[in-house]
Amino acid sequence: MTSFRNIDRSVPRLEGREKVTGKAEYVHHLRLPGMLYGKIFRSTVPHGRIKHIDVSAAAAVEGVYRVVTIDDIRTIIPHPYYGPAFHDQPVLADGKVRFAGEPVAVVIATDRRVAEEAAGLITAEYEELPAVFDEVEAMTSDVIVHDELKPAATFPDLQHLKGRSGTNVALDYKLRRGDVDAGFAAADRIFEHTFRNQQVMHTPLEPFVTVAEPGDGRMTLHTASQGPSFVRIEIARLLGWPENRVRVKVPFLGGGFGGKLYIKLEALVASLALLVQCPVKISLTMEEQFFMVTRHPCTVRIKSGVNNDGKIVARRCDVIWNGGAYADIGPRVTQKAGFTSAGPYDIENVSIDSYAVYTNRPPAGALRGFGAPQTAWAYETHMDMIADALGMDQIEFRRKNLLREGREQATGTPMRDAALDAVLDQVSTRMAWSEPVDRGTGRIRRGRGIAVGFKGITAPTTSVAMVNCYADGSCALYIGTVDMGQGSDTVMAQIAAEVLEIDAESIRVIHSDTDVTPYDMGTLGSRSTFHMGTAVLLAAKDAKNKIAELARELSLPPGNNLPLPELFRRKYGMQAGNIIGTGSFIPDYEKPEKDTGRSTKATPFWGVGASGAEVEVDTETGHFTVTKLVNVADVGVPLNPKLVQVQLSGAAIMQLGFTLTEEMIFSEGQLTNGSFADYKIPTLLDLPAEFINECVESRQNDGPFGAKGAGETSTIALSPAIGNALADAIGIRLTDLPLTPEKVFKALSDAKRLWSAGG
Amino acid sequence: MTSFDLVEPRSLEEAFRYLDPSDPAIRPFGGGTALMLMIKAQMYKPQRLVSLGRLGGRFSGISFDANACRIGAMTRFATLEHSPEIAARLPVITEAMKTLANVRVRNVATVGGNLGHADPHLDLPPIWLVLDAKVTVVNRGGERVLPVADIFSGYYETTLGNDELIAEVEVPVRQGWRSKYVKVTTRATHDWPALGLAISVQIDGHLIKDLRIVLSAAVDFPRRLLGAEAVLRGAAIDEPLLQRAGEAAAEEADMESDSRGTGDYKRHLLRAHLRRAVLALAAE
Repeated sequence: MTSFRNIDRSVPRLEGREKVTGKAEYVHHLRLPGMLYGKIFRSTVPHGRIKHIDVSAAAAVEGVYRVVTIDDIRTIIPHPYYGPAFHDQPVLADGKVRFAGEPVAVVIATDRRVAEEAAGLITAEYEELPAVFDEVEAMTSDVIVHDELKPAATFPDLQHLKGRSGTNVALDYKLRRGDVDAGFAAADRIFEHTFRNQQVMHTPLEPFVTVAEPGDGRMTLHTASQGPSFVRIEIARLLGWPENRVRVKVPFLGGGFGGKLYIKLEALVASLALLVQCPVKISLTMEEQFFMVTRHPCTVRIKSGVNNDGKIVARRCDVIWNGGAYADIGPRVTQKAGFTSAGPYDIENVSIDSYAVYTNRPPAGALRGFGAPQTAWAYETHMDMIADALGMDQIEFRRKNLLREGREQATGTPMRDAALDAVLDQVSTRMAWSEPVDRGTGRIRRGRGIAVGFKGITAPTTSVAMVNCYADGSCALYIGTVDMGQGSDTVMAQIAAEVLEIDAESIRVIHSDTDVTPYDMGTLGSRSTFHMGTAVLLAAKDAKNKIAELARELSLPPGNNLPLPELFRRKYGMQAGNIIGTGSFIPDYEKPEKDTGRSTKATPFWGVGASGAEVEVDTETGHFTVTKLVNVADVGVPLNPKLVQVQLSGAAIMQLGFTLTEEMIFSEGQLTNGSFADYKIPTLLDLPAEFINECVESRQNDGPFGAKGAGETSTIALSPAIGNALADAIGIRLTDLPLTPEKVFKALSDAKRLWSAGG
Repeated sequence: MTSFDLVEPRSLEEAFRYLDPSDPAIRPFGGGTALMLMIKAQMYKPQRLVSLGRLGGRFSGISFDANACRIGAMTRFATLEHSPEIAARLPVITEAMKTLANVRVRNVATVGGNLGHADPHLDLPPIWLVLDAKVTVVNRGGERVLPVADIFSGYYETTLGNDELIAEVEVPVRQGWRSKYVKVTTRATHDWPALGLAISVQIDGHLIKDLRIVLSAAVDFPRRLLGAEAVLRGAAIDEPLLQRAGEAAAEEADMESDSRGTGDYKRHLLRAHLRRAVLALAAE
């Protein structure tokens, strides 16, 4: 067995000390000489034509430099529309507003409080238009959010995007395997259910913030972004500049969770800086984040044909994703989470339709799990409902249908290195599933539930890395992966250090700066450890080869132990020179066939996780507590066990909020709980008394040192595990998230009424 | 938020010199925890804020005598929380501190500021009401004493004049009374209460000699539930009695729907928690 000095070692975070002593760099703290501050004025109606914007009172406030609308933006960017999937989002509202909270104008002032004060003096008149908010209604509504669809054709997997013009459907993804109707006809039993997921938000501790610094025909953006390379490409496209004139720098991020991807404030702030020829900063408030990007509300209809022995023979899924007013990356969520929406089961006949639709809500995009938690809520609740009806044990029923190693998933992509059995077994053990459960007495009822799920990984995507060995032998790693709290600096240093046979602690990681660090598609979708990790591995190997080459060039015998600084001295006659190793990685990918969604390489690896929960319900009030929560993940080989563990627990806490307490509530398109007094994320006090997060022994054979991503795995199966436990406790199913005490109470009262009405 | 002046007078005379009852942009404040949020949200734009935090004298400190406990209006929550005397004589307050806001707020927020803010979701006001507390308010010319209950007149509204400052709270010593505050949350643990329920009883065995019930959060300001009190007063505790009391409470409390629950659900919670609280107090 190989022994490692850096792998499978809980190296403390390289930046830990900097962070806890308050020295870590964030854009939030950045102040540049002569910097001005922008404040956004937002739409008050969900859908309307702008008749008039009056900025005169704002412009008259002392300290206000300029007030900007789309007409001003157009002098900088002639076609001011951006977005990763569709170029549908105007930098500022252009004649029309499509959600309440949409940016309409910006005040630029010498002080951010002055800008805020002045923005409050802007008025706008709208001709209100009928609006559509619900994703199911939007499928057939006469209200059309976008008259014209504008596909961006940026990403290879989305190039076929056309949308359906004259409708709100931005993307319809189809998967067809076998003959689902024949499957239903032959099945012993048919089950059909509908499930709903609510709209929620990322809530990073550091709200969105961007500083744009104009130069002589150049532009530097300091931005809280998970995807600096994409920002550079998109800003260069909008400005019509070559990429080398746009520089994007990202220090640490105070959380991203998928929100700070693609392009957010950057186009706006870049335009403002070019308009006034001064550095400009916009920092959103915590509350404004609700209007930047959210997670898709989603309705899933799922129908299964099952034989009496518990074998699922056919499944149809109709998944509708509420993308809000602008597509953002929603079409990709629709496709990636669409193709796994039948669950990790071996089903001969599968039909999936997954739709991204526009509505008049704040836009939705990527959020930790990338749609997988929404579909798993549906298929794993559905699985328990079927098991109950068949009288089968919930775990046995799943085992009977689980996709095994080598079997084809619905797309035709074979399952490889996906420890579905192992995670389910380990949850079963941790839950003591074979033991009887204490069901409580009196008004207290207890129950338990499990669920398992999987996700495909965004593909195809590229990462490039560079290892630079300096003349004294010290090394730096140049990568575009953004450390936003997940610990990527540490893990990437571990990979490079292992190859270079040094300690991870001695490596310096150079943060994203597109003038310095090479391309990376983005820190997203559990991809960094696998993709960037492989690029780093290749870069380190390249450096190592070059060191060996140098030794050969200096006529040193193979296996010599001359230290690197000495090699440099012999080559250059003094402490001088560099050895630069580079690595670039893009996994194999096969684009899905348009009509069937078939692909033999739909994902570079599988995210696999299972959860188990125990709940205690106060049946008088509906109040319930998750008393135990178990999350088991397949992360391949955990490169840094401690970091993996906190990734799993962090993701689980986040999903716990989406399951129990978080919901953006709207009344006629107006967000009614847009503050953290009224939108409740969980705190430490809300954690289950028993909270277990762990991984199974596993290996991703083509991953760096056997590893794969771990950032989202524990989000997938958590909600249905809790819902299933609740149903086990009270005998009633809830199908709509979040699971609130009032919903439990109402379900119990309705059931009681039914019982008493039935005598 | 734009710039404003902040002054910290050391005496009441000096404070009144800075204050101007006719100018809404000039306001006194205690800890400022609530006021700062209103300023940040641009709901309030001050020109001058007058901190009462350094006034000292009757505005500060906690003292006890045979008849009452006196708490200066500028007493910080953390001081109440960690006071052994409060824990011994008014344990309902110490207990409430466990889930009241967070340590940062408790270190700054004051008893007087909390009362003057008149947000119906706050935890302490219903407790003062149920303890039958009084406040002393002062103005340039003199002072007056009124029951805490008489401070509130509406949602974030009080009966206090613009020229008046809350100086101290006085809680009478009531032999044989026990009190309990139930913060009923329906979402995260640190949420504002969907309803707050404070109950104080004088019990002899199973007989309720006297009691006060106060409902907060779900109503526009903390209110006594006189109907439910009347059902319980002088009665022996049993299941039918508790049912009737719950019905009376649900009947008299005018509760609106919000993101924490519908009015119907809150009425149900009120019935359930009133019953549980009375039983818990009887069992103490």
